[in-house]
Amino acid sequence: MSLAVLVGTRKGLFVLRGDEDRRQWTVEEPLLTGWDVFHAITHDGAVYAAANNFVYGATVQRSTDFGKTWERSEGLGLPEESGLTLEKTWHVEPGADGTLWLGAAPGVLFRSEDKGTSWQPVESLNAHPTRERWNPGAGGMCTHSIQIDSKNDQTIYIAISAAGVFRSDDGGETWVPKNKGTAADFIPDDPFPEVGQCVHKLLVHPAQPERLWQQNHCGVYRSDDRGENWERLEGNGLPSGFGFPLALDPRDPEVALVIPEVGAENRVTPDGRLGVYKTTDGGKSWELSSNGLPEPAWGAVMREGMSFDRLDPSGVYFGTQSGSVFVSPDGGGEWIEAASQLPTILSVEVAEWQ
Amino acid sequence: MAVTVLLPGLLADQAGGQKEFELDAPTVGAALRALPVRDLLFDEHDELRSLVNVYVDGAATRERGGLETELEGGETIRVVAAIAGG
Repeated sequence: MSLAVLVGTRKGLFVLRGDEDRRQWTVEEPLLTGWDVFHAITHDGAVYAAANNFVYGATVQRSTDFGKTWERSEGLGLPEESGLTLEKTWHVEPGADGTLWLGAAPGVLFRSEDKGTSWQPVESLNAHPTRERWNPGAGGMCTHSIQIDSKNDQTIYIAISAAGVFRSDDGGETWVPKNKGTAADFIPDDPFPEVGQCVHKLLVHPAQPERLWQQNHCGVYRSDDRGENWERLEGNGLPSGFGFPLALDPRDPEVALVIPEVGAENRVTPDGRLGVYKTTDGGKSWELSSNGLPEPAWGAVMREGMSFDRLDPSGVYFGTQSGSVFVSPDGGGEWIEAASQLPTILSVEVAEWQ
Repeated sequence: MAVTVLLPGLLADQAGGQKEFELDAPTVGAALRALPVRDLLFDEHDELRSLVNVYVDGAATRERGGLETELEGGETIRVVAAIAGG
C-alpha cells in the first residue's frame, strides 16, 4: 500500500500517486468516467465514491479492487411518505462498528450496515422538527459534513447548507442544533437563529474532539466545547470570512487552514492570488501561505477540496476549480503543483492505495 | 415476442458492459423496469428521470403514450440521454 490522493472531479475520479518525499506526482487514468465524484474515500479495503450524474441521478459507487470494477449501491432513495426525492450524494464517512454514513441532498442522511451495499434513511434527521426552517444554498441543500468524535463514537456531528450544525450524542437517534453564536447575515430579521446557518465545512479535530472548526458563509469559527458555543475568528490576518474548504492538522489542534474568497458575490481568491491562510494559534492570527502558488490568480476551491495526510511532517493537499492539485509536504510552507488541467475539482482526500 | 433495448455507453457500463437486452415486456415501462439499471432510469418514486428520453423504433415515446406505450414484440427501444450539461 502506498500514499495516493483521490481527486473527485466533475468528470470522474483521478488518483494521484506520490513518491516518499511527496514532491513527485503522477496522474493515473480516470476512474468512474461520466460521473461527478463529489467525494471519495478508502475505508477497510474498499473505495467509496459519492457519484452523481446529471441524467441518471445520485448513487454511491464501491470498489473492492481499487477501481478496476465498481458496484452501485442498491435502492438508494427516500421513502414516499417523506415527500423528498434524493438529489445528490455528497459525503461518505466511516462510523462506529462498521457503520457508514452518507450525507446527501436535500438535507438528508443515510446509514449503511453492510459496507455500502444498501443505505437506510436516518429519519431522526431527515424529518427533524426544525426542517421547515432549512433552506438550500447555491449547491442545493446538502449534508456535506459528517464527523465522528474520536473518543466517543456515539457522538456524531453533521452540517447542512443551509440548516447549520447538528450533534447526536446517541449514535444518530436524536439530533440537536449546535449553532449558538454563528451568524446568518442573510436573515436580517434573525441573524443568529437556532437553525438555518449556511455552514460550508465542519471538521472535528481528531486528537482533541471537543474542538470543532467551521468555515461558514458568514465567517470562520472555532468551538472548544463540542459546539455548545462558537467563536468567530475573522480579522487578524484573514482577508475574508467567506470561503469553502477547511483543513485541520491532525498533529496539532492549534493549526487550521482555509482558502478565503472575496465574498458571496465574488467567489474568487482575494488580492489576485491563490492563497492559503494558516493559523498556528487556534485562529487568533492567520498568515498567508503562498510559496509556490500561482500569482496572479483568481481561483476557487470547493468545500471538500482540501485535506491533510497522516504523515510526519503533516502534508496538506488542495484542488482547484481550474483543475490543479497543489501539495505541501511541510504543512503549508511550500507548495508543489502535483497535477494540472484536470476537470473541475470537487474533492481531495488522502488514501492508502494498492 | 421479445423486444430489444439499447443502452448508451454509461448505462451499458453500469449494466456490466451489456448494451443490448432482449426481453419480453408488454409496455415500454415494463421493459425499462426489467433492466439492471432501473435505478438509474427511474427515481426512488418510480418516476422516469426527466433527462432520460426513450424511443421506440425511432419515435419518441413522450409523444406517443409514454411508459404505457404497448409493445407487440419485435420493437427496438433506445434509451437516449437528453442533450444537456457541459
